[in-house]
Amino acid sequence: MIVATTDNLPGYEIVECLGLVRGTTVRARNMLRDVGAIFRTIAGGEVPEYTKLVAEAREQALDRMLAEAHELNADAVVGFRFATSEVAKAAAEIVAYGTAVRLRRDPLG
Amino acid sequence: MAYADGELSPAERAAFEARLAHEPGLGREVAQHRALAVLARRLAPLEPLDHEWRRLAADPMQRGALGFGWISLGIGVLGLAGLALWRFETNGEISLIERGLVLAVVLGAGALLVTAVRARVRTLPFDPYRNVER
Repeated sequence: MIVATTDNLPGYEIVECLGLVRGTTVRARNMLRDVGAIFRTIAGGEVPEYTKLVAEAREQALDRMLAEAHELNADAVVGFRFATSEVAKAAAEIVAYGTAVRLRRDPLG
Repeated sequence: MAYADGELSPAERAAFEARLAHEPGLGREVAQHRALAVLARRLAPLEPLDHEWRRLAADPMQRGALGFGWISLGIGVLGLAGLALWRFETNGEISLIERGLVLAVVLGAGALLVTAVRARVRTLPFDPYRNVER
């Protein structure tokens, strides 16, 4: 399945719009990791504990959105975006969303 | 170069494409430039910190300090919490109701922690995202 941030896909024609698809997750690391991260923030630089947390949440939200698109038999998700907000300290909330569409090869593309 | 990078205005682009139709050499030049741009992206520098993280993780001094830090911190925190709870619960000057309520809070929090840890341990093997690093 094609996932693109653009509204159109070069070489393809959108023949059907199936509507919004989205995936959401809120993930946290364990408290010991949070303690480790506190010391990292004191010293500065990258905090791998939180990089990992955000990466895990991003992949899970993306997979949930793709599962929804698969259920609709979509060929692609266009206008894809990630959004984030804070619902709890030391937790990553990520929403992945886009528009599921059906495609046809553009004979002129 | 500006054409291959998509930096021309629509009018400039149309004019350039008209030239492309009649100048095969120019087309080859554009193709080469695009291939070079793709190659340059693939050759983007690797994470410079990766080898340093691995070296640090294997360093005996770093591992020893980390192990000592966690064990010492854990013993200290748990010991202090236990001691504080013991002193509080055995303090005759505090009413039985107050001591009972504090004990209920501690036991309740402990029970909730146990359920959360149990749930995580049970579901951990089925969590495909735990190996995502970045």
